[in-house]
Amino acid sequence: MLEIKNLHAKVEGEDIEILKGVNLKVNAGEIHAIMGPNGSGKSTLSKVVSGHPEYEVTEGEILFNGEDITELDADERAHLGLFLAFQYPVEVPGITNKTLLREAYNTIARANDREELDPLEFEDYITEKLDVIEMKDEFLSRSINTGFSGGEKKKNEIFQMAVLNPVLSFLDETDSGLDIDALKVVSDGVNKIANDENAIVMITHYQRLLNYIKPDYVHVMMAGKLIKSGGFELAEELEANGYDALEKELVLNGEAQ
Amino acid sequence: MSEVIQRDTMLSYITGSVESSAESVAIRAINERGREDLENTPFPTRKDEDWRFVDLKSITKSQFCKLEEANAADVGDISDHYLPEAMNCRLVFVNGVYSEELSSVEDLPNNVIVGNLAANADNNSVKEHLGTITNYDDDVFAPFNDAAFTDGAFIYVPEETVVRTPIHILNVFTDAEKAFYATPRLLYVGEMFSKSTIIEEHIGLADNQYLNVPVTEFKMFTGSNVHHARIQRDSKKASHVSRPIAILDKNAEYHSYTICLGAKLFRNDPRVIQNAEEVNFTVDGLVLIDGDQIADTHSIMDHRFAHAGSHQLHKVVVNDSAHSVFNGKIFVAKDAQKIDSFQENRNLLLSENGKVNTKPQLEIFADDVLCSHGATIGQLQDEEVFYLQSRGLTEQKSRELLVYAFALESVESMEVESVEKLLLNEVIEYTNRDNK
Ligand SMILES: Nc1ncnc2c1ncn2[C@@H]1O[C@H](COP(=O)(O)OP(=O)(O)OP(=O)(O)O)[C@@H](O)[C@H]1O
Ligand SMILES: [Mg+2]
Repeated sequence: MLEIKNLHAKVEGEDIEILKGVNLKVNAGEIHAIMGPNGSGKSTLSKVVSGHPEYEVTEGEILFNGEDITELDADERAHLGLFLAFQYPVEVPGITNKTLLREAYNTIARANDREELDPLEFEDYITEKLDVIEMKDEFLSRSINTGFSGGEKKKNEIFQMAVLNPVLSFLDETDSGLDIDALKVVSDGVNKIANDENAIVMITHYQRLLNYIKPDYVHVMMAGKLIKSGGFELAEELEANGYDALEKELVLNGEAQ
Repeated sequence: MSEVIQRDTMLSYITGSVESSAESVAIRAINERGREDLENTPFPTRKDEDWRFVDLKSITKSQFCKLEEANAADVGDISDHYLPEAMNCRLVFVNGVYSEELSSVEDLPNNVIVGNLAANADNNSVKEHLGTITNYDDDVFAPFNDAAFTDGAFIYVPEETVVRTPIHILNVFTDAEKAFYATPRLLYVGEMFSKSTIIEEHIGLADNQYLNVPVTEFKMFTGSNVHHARIQRDSKKASHVSRPIAILDKNAEYHSYTICLGAKLFRNDPRVIQNAEEVNFTVDGLVLIDGDQIADTHSIMDHRFAHAGSHQLHKVVVNDSAHSVFNGKIFVAKDAQKIDSFQENRNLLLSENGKVNTKPQLEIFADDVLCSHGATIGQLQDEEVFYLQSRGLTEQKSRELLVYAFALESVESMEVESVEKLLLNEVIEYTNRDNK
């Protein structure tokens, strides 16, 4: 589904290279986790994949279902089924959640020759989706993320994911800021959305999320590269020994450049 | 001895003389006073502090004639512009001239007057207040209206009377062979504890050049209350210079909302004057301009007595090489304690060539006063655009929604549903234009 090959990216118009050769392959039905220290480039990877204009790909490619998407705008990537749950969801005063989601849902439907939903149909559809993460319907008529608590913002991202039903989702630290109850609800929601036809890449610092959403693969990102991949046990190892130990081990084995 | 330089007056840009043809003695007296002021007051230039930022070329490069000489087109069917809420409460002025035929006033509460000034010239309130409220020093525009008007709108709401139907004052301007001038006039007298909603509109029906110089006077007695929406959709070639003023007695409330969409040059000088303690007022504005439009608001909130609450939110969206000027003066006199005044000017710049000048001006002589003011000039936030775009909205749609959201708050203060709808459509049309 997604194949990232030797991806290099820098800040547009500046000489700051952040991604320094990322390789990642994600198949339908899989759940991946990316862990790594602060500033290693995890968020940047998710933004580059979703088409943030602040970054420029200087080398490598991003293939989505075989098509190179590096030149596509963010909305065109969303039409193909890409979704990013932001680490810091943006507040947009004056536009309600519902307005955004109906516009987004119908734009994506149009781009894929699917039936659009009229306001009444959409109302039913969206109300049903509220249950996925136990969200109160008053959030629909509130301005996007405006005045939401940290946890509510994260929940709202997953709610949007449920409504837009993407093929591939990057969840950037969706677990940070959630208390244990909210974490359970959000994880349940993600598990309900996950199926054989879609895929999820979670970015996190904590193993606790992975206890609720079981990843098939865990990757470690450091200094702009995925330096090690493994199964769930890699997350446990990181939790126990930290990134420094891993880095030393890789150096000893001559694996790190 | 200093050299005396002969400066142009307003009359330099008017063909022929401005002679009074008013029947009423009271109106003729105001005409006379206006003419004197006109002859003695030089036309402003950029050297005048209050006109520093504004290019007055669209007036000074032209000659404006009387309507009678302009060969103006017939008004045609304008029923699209009628408000469903005010079907029986509408005064229509075509090129500044009252049209009894298009106006419709029925079923008003007892003793309420919604009519034209000429027909009510003998009314005591007209005699007492007309022309006594406007107060603009060194001005040429209010005197020009004073000199030239022969008619106008008159609204009188008696004591303890509430007019529930919004009152629609519809000024339309038709196409014409020559550029003409019009001097719409509105006198509002609200007796003690009266209440009403006024929708004052200025609509250019064609794409022609004209000069629209309205004066509105609001005399607000104790405890009276008015919601005054002003919607300016003049032709994109017109010049519109407005002089709206309100004077408030004890416990009076005057809330005004000016929406600027049209005109090549819009200059608006709203003034609210406190005439007793404990008043409450609003001087909000929303400006959406593009092309080479200029919109300039010079407002005065004049606190002269204690215990006033005043509010001014002036929102501006500028595209292309349009230019917005805001100068918001807040005066608080020495003994006017316990004033709570809020002023904010928020500007959204959509283009590189757009221009915004903003200047709050506080002159506060009392010490127990709460005055907050601020001005921001910003662009659409890239992070907001990306957020919406990452959800599938095109960049254009994302920008459109963000501008819409910016303007929404002001539109929602209209209180009359059809007006809100109309303005939302205008906002959408404006944001669409932006992306071509
Ligand atoms: N627009 C930018 N301009 C300059 N530097 C940037 C920009 N975007 C990202 N960076 C830098 O790139 C590096 C990677 O940032 P990124 O946000 O991807 O890290 P992260 O792995 O998500 O960290 P965290 O765990 O703290 O969220 C950081 O050093 C960051 O400061
Ligand atoms: Mg991050």
